[in-house]
Amino acid sequence: MSSLEFRAITKSFPGVRALDDVSFSAMGGQVVALVGENGAGKSTLLKVLGGDYQPDSGEYLIDGARRHFREPREAIEAGVSIIYQERQVVPFLSVAENIFMEGIPAGKTHLIDFKALNRMAQRIIDEFRLPFHATDRVRDLSVAHQQMIEIMKAYRRNPKIIAFDEPTASLSDAEIETLFSIIGQLRQKGIIILYVSHRMKEIFQISDEVVILKDGKFVGQYKTRDTDELSIIQKMVGRNLGDIFKELRRNDDIGGPVLEVKHLNADNVKDVSFTLKAGEVVGFAGLVGAGRTETMRAIFGADKRKSGEVLVSGKPVDIDAPEDAIRLGIALCPEDRKEQGIVAKRSVCDNISMAVMPTLCKGGFINFQKEKALAYEGVKELNIKTPSVEKPIGELSGGNQQKTILARWLALEPRILILDEPTKGIDVGSKSEIYQIICDMAKRGIGVIMVSSELPEILGVCDRIVVMCQGRITGELPRAEATEHNVLMLAMRDMLGGNCQ
Amino acid sequence: MNQACPAPAAEKGGKTGKFLRQILKSDKIGLLLALAVIVIVFQVLTGNKYFTPANITNIMIAMSVVGLVTIGESFLLITGKVDLSPGSVAAFSGVLVANLLNTGMNMYLAIGIVVAVGMVIGMINALLVNKLKLEAFIATLATMSIFRGLGYIICGGKSVFITNGDYLKFGAGRILDIPIPVLLFLVLFIVFMVVLARTRFGRSIYMVGGNPTASRLTGINSQKLLVILFMLTAAFSALGGCIMTARMSSGQPMSCEGLEFDAVTAAVLGGVAMLGGVGTLGGALIGLLIMQGFNNGLMMLNVPSFWQTVSRGLLLIAALSFDYVRNRKSKLKNA
Repeated sequence: MSSLEFRAITKSFPGVRALDDVSFSAMGGQVVALVGENGAGKSTLLKVLGGDYQPDSGEYLIDGARRHFREPREAIEAGVSIIYQERQVVPFLSVAENIFMEGIPAGKTHLIDFKALNRMAQRIIDEFRLPFHATDRVRDLSVAHQQMIEIMKAYRRNPKIIAFDEPTASLSDAEIETLFSIIGQLRQKGIIILYVSHRMKEIFQISDEVVILKDGKFVGQYKTRDTDELSIIQKMVGRNLGDIFKELRRNDDIGGPVLEVKHLNADNVKDVSFTLKAGEVVGFAGLVGAGRTETMRAIFGADKRKSGEVLVSGKPVDIDAPEDAIRLGIALCPEDRKEQGIVAKRSVCDNISMAVMPTLCKGGFINFQKEKALAYEGVKELNIKTPSVEKPIGELSGGNQQKTILARWLALEPRILILDEPTKGIDVGSKSEIYQIICDMAKRGIGVIMVSSELPEILGVCDRIVVMCQGRITGELPRAEATEHNVLMLAMRDMLGGNCQ
Repeated sequence: MNQACPAPAAEKGGKTGKFLRQILKSDKIGLLLALAVIVIVFQVLTGNKYFTPANITNIMIAMSVVGLVTIGESFLLITGKVDLSPGSVAAFSGVLVANLLNTGMNMYLAIGIVVAVGMVIGMINALLVNKLKLEAFIATLATMSIFRGLGYIICGGKSVFITNGDYLKFGAGRILDIPIPVLLFLVLFIVFMVVLARTRFGRSIYMVGGNPTASRLTGINSQKLLVILFMLTAAFSALGGCIMTARMSSGQPMSCEGLEFDAVTAAVLGGVAMLGGVGTLGGALIGLLIMQGFNNGLMMLNVPSFWQTVSRGLLLIAALSFDYVRNRKSKLKNA
């Protein structure tokens, strides 16, 4: 029976301790779920095990022997396979070629022995009873089947350990069933399975044990059947989220409309109309792909509008590009902080001043004193933890990066602040700070839109909740009437009753 | 690490002290040392003939044309783009200016026209990148070929000799005892150094290079920026072509081959990142000095020109490996 043990693994990155003294063990034939919030260190731990990252201290043992993988190849040779969220397949090659990626059988002539390759691949495919063929081209398969190919590839290497990083993120329910039956088969063969996910339902469906991480630290290891969802969440979060929202100092003084959107149409945005008032926090709820981000981008001028009218403070406006929106006092804090928000190599100061550069310049020349003062003000006001404003923003933790981006937009003194997933991938401490910042902005009379996929924060922070589904608004709930249940009913209207129309 | 920022007052110190500290802390210190080593070694090998006013002037004249192109090329590299056409544009412009002068045209008008034509070429490059969404590498590879060819076509493949005496002074004359090409290069270099470091325009170059999407969402128009940068680079190439023509007293369609690569080499030597977002013109200037200083030294030692080309490649590898080692060290320190 194979075994895996982590002993006091510690790994730091500039500004964050991703893993702090993490120890636990797993046995063959078990599915061990790794749970924790974003940034808890789950993926980092997998990367350490996979030889992608080197731990600062601590060690891991496989079958009782200390191992140290300096690169992924060494881990693979030792029987460790990691299946990452992002597919690692070569789309233009066949299924068989992908499964045998680095171990393609060659004949005496050193040419590829396609017959043997396809036969061996088909044997593995049949073993798992999958509905595709060894010679199919990977590009033509569904995302789920592409993922299966990665599992086949891992399985072909006779692994001791297979680790999955959020494998169901892009799968449908039926596909998840297939995945779970495959994981079940792997478990029966005595393979150790690490399963990273934040979906509670799956964890109870598939895992034998649960390991909880929080802020890089090990919280506990439990038999799945001896625990329940609520106690796991409490241990993950470390405190009751409800209390955070109760402590918020909210704004009660709501003014007239600052933003009116009428019959907006764009890609994945269908006939969207709503109003935002000064000092109000409006939440946009919905499933991933409901068209919320697209709606915001269309309002901001980041994407093309097909039709529809936008009024700012009662006046019709024509926004064709982000600079038009910025001039009108609209700010958009985008969803993907790394790709669309920060300029990683530049300083905190440069990142804060970016959107208000015109006001810091005279005759095109930057007033550096004014710029610095602005940056210091933002750092102080939002409690951004950085040793200096000259520090490259990429070296800060996710929460502090997000606060820096908020400082960038607050410097604009906007009338309308649109936040797309403002707490994605940041720690609980920063989250509660950001909730308070949002309420403070509302108190200043800014109209705030918060797009979020985390229902508790939408329910906890917003005055009013707009729910979208398949590009349409399917309902609007005032704070008093909104519950997880009725928001979800609106968000999943397509699945419950045909389509949104 | 996890403290709030110190107040601004804490950063102030003696002005000279701060300046010295900045130089020592600067990532250019390695490059300056390399430059010093090159100067000392060649000074010894040539028997004190290397570091003399006359030879320094030689080096500066030799780098004036590539220096001009380096300004534009550095800007483009910082935005994550590149322009491969400067050599061709310079040769084309040289032939064009020679032809214009031989019609009896006023030299300033001729230079003005040629620089304006250069700007149009830059605009074409930018349009290919912005509108056809071509990679800058591919788009300018195409225009490189087109304008090299057009250069041959407008002169029928033969050199065009210049008889305008005033124009020849443009290449050999001096103002305040400084050769005109060197003066032109230094003035423009300093102007654009200030532009990059201290203006909103310069800042937007860094921001677009660091993250084009984030820049767009903060209202920076990166397409407009690229138009200006490609126009600037092509205008400098055209001006460089004019200087070259004046120095050779003829427009030669095969001249300036590889000019763009020399400019990229200098910029990269000086710490401008090929991936964008990082670099300064000060660094690029040191890169230029190292490159031309090295070339000049080898020439003085009568090293055959073919070996000079080889050694330029070796120099680049040496400089970049030095950079790699230093970056790794500082990363280890940070982790």
